[in-house]
Amino acid sequence: MTAGDWLSLAQGALTTVTLSIVAIAIGLPLGLALALVRWRGVRLASPCIAILVSLLRASPGVTLGLLIFFALPTIGISIGAIPAAIATLTLITGAFNCEIWRGALVDFPRDQLEAAQSVGMTAGMRLRLIVLPQILRSAMPALVNEMTLLVKASPAVAVLGVVDITRAAVRIGANTYEPLPPFSAALVIYSLVVFLFVLAQRLVERGQRRAAAA
Amino acid sequence: MSRLITTRREILRTVGMTAIATAAAGLSRGARAATLDEIKQRGYMIVATEDDFRPFEFVKDGVPTGFDTELLKLLRKTVPFEIRQEIIPWTGLLQGVDTGKYDVAITAALITKERQQFLDYCSPISDATIYYVKRANDKSITGIKDLSGKTVGVQAGSAMLAALPQLEAMLAPTGGKLGKVTQYVSYPEAYQDLAIGRTDFVTNTVINLNLLIKEKPGVFELGQPVAAKTYIAWPVKKGNTSVLALLNGFLAAERKNGEMYKLQKEWFGQSFEDMPESFTAT
Repeated sequence: MTAGDWLSLAQGALTTVTLSIVAIAIGLPLGLALALVRWRGVRLASPCIAILVSLLRASPGVTLGLLIFFALPTIGISIGAIPAAIATLTLITGAFNCEIWRGALVDFPRDQLEAAQSVGMTAGMRLRLIVLPQILRSAMPALVNEMTLLVKASPAVAVLGVVDITRAAVRIGANTYEPLPPFSAALVIYSLVVFLFVLAQRLVERGQRRAAAA
Repeated sequence: MSRLITTRREILRTVGMTAIATAAAGLSRGARAATLDEIKQRGYMIVATEDDFRPFEFVKDGVPTGFDTELLKLLRKTVPFEIRQEIIPWTGLLQGVDTGKYDVAITAALITKERQQFLDYCSPISDATIYYVKRANDKSITGIKDLSGKTVGVQAGSAMLAALPQLEAMLAPTGGKLGKVTQYVSYPEAYQDLAIGRTDFVTNTVINLNLLIKEKPGVFELGQPVAAKTYIAWPVKKGNTSVLALLNGFLAAERKNGEMYKLQKEWFGQSFEDMPESFTAT
């Protein structure tokens, strides 16, 4: 592989990481909001979200991406490749995050809520001061796991013309007829990215433990 | 290791196309492509090219290159508006043309009957006729009639396999018969078996075979066509006659001034000066 090939892979890595981080940054609160609506059992909205989330969880990234990018223009909504890629990844990770948050909410001990209510806390206060800090901790491992899965699902958006790590490797392989070096390099880069996510999780958890001990 | 173009790709293309065509067929009927006037009015044309289809279009060191890329450069010089290029994988490309997202696909698309139902093709840019290749030192094969009874190597599930009945029909008048057919997962294996004598000839498109002969000079020798002529051309959305006319005008001019044939020689190792102005698959 030439220096130009390595540069292409590095640019692909930048794209993969940027897209993933943006999707996670939007998908985390989006998932939480959806989970809260479902947890509260809001009439009409709750079953609609349940169906939407099930559909999104069942939808392969490539299919969803093609739908957003190529099918939306037919109903008059035209969207660029990068926004379409972000929308695809955000919807997918948002749906999975919703289920993770919801799991943590469902497991949340009811007696704590009743205790908070008995000292006169409003619903907003209960959520902000009692529920969120605790479910954030209990959901963290599953959320980080979903982030690493998202990074690995991200090559799906290459179908929209976004050049991520995998697409960069495909291009190099198609050019040299030697697929082994670029794909090996791509695998190493993915491992590094996933390692960084796990490392960040450990640091956050350590911080949480310290805070809890203090 | 050398992996040559078109064949396995062609299968993937077909599978991908079918899936997406089915998925989006209902929706895309409502979409329409921009006419030439609309393109002029908005000031730019959107073209889609592929990124891994050597020698037509591929990306080297992050820079698009290849036969179609060179033609695109010439096209930019002749049109009075800007050309915006979107480089995307094959999977959604034709569907993007069909939904009007791209005005034309500056890509190597085989002209097929099924694609003609929703696309109009410009003048061909390359021959894609299936030829046979034999060992250079095999004196027993000098023409089509000598292929009777010989073992043929071909890729499983490929367009070349599907075209073998045409060869059978060509052999019939001289009392010849199609020999044993050996199917391979990919063409490099078929070429290896041909080189060591396990098969007597292999069929593939003329561009593939020219590349093979260029890479392994002295080992293989190109034979003759074993199927009806087929061509590769740029597709636009069906019925988009104004854009089609503009592109055909450009392509005709490039044929006339010889640039087209020069580029073909450079990228395919052969020029196709007898290409028809338009071609319809039947």
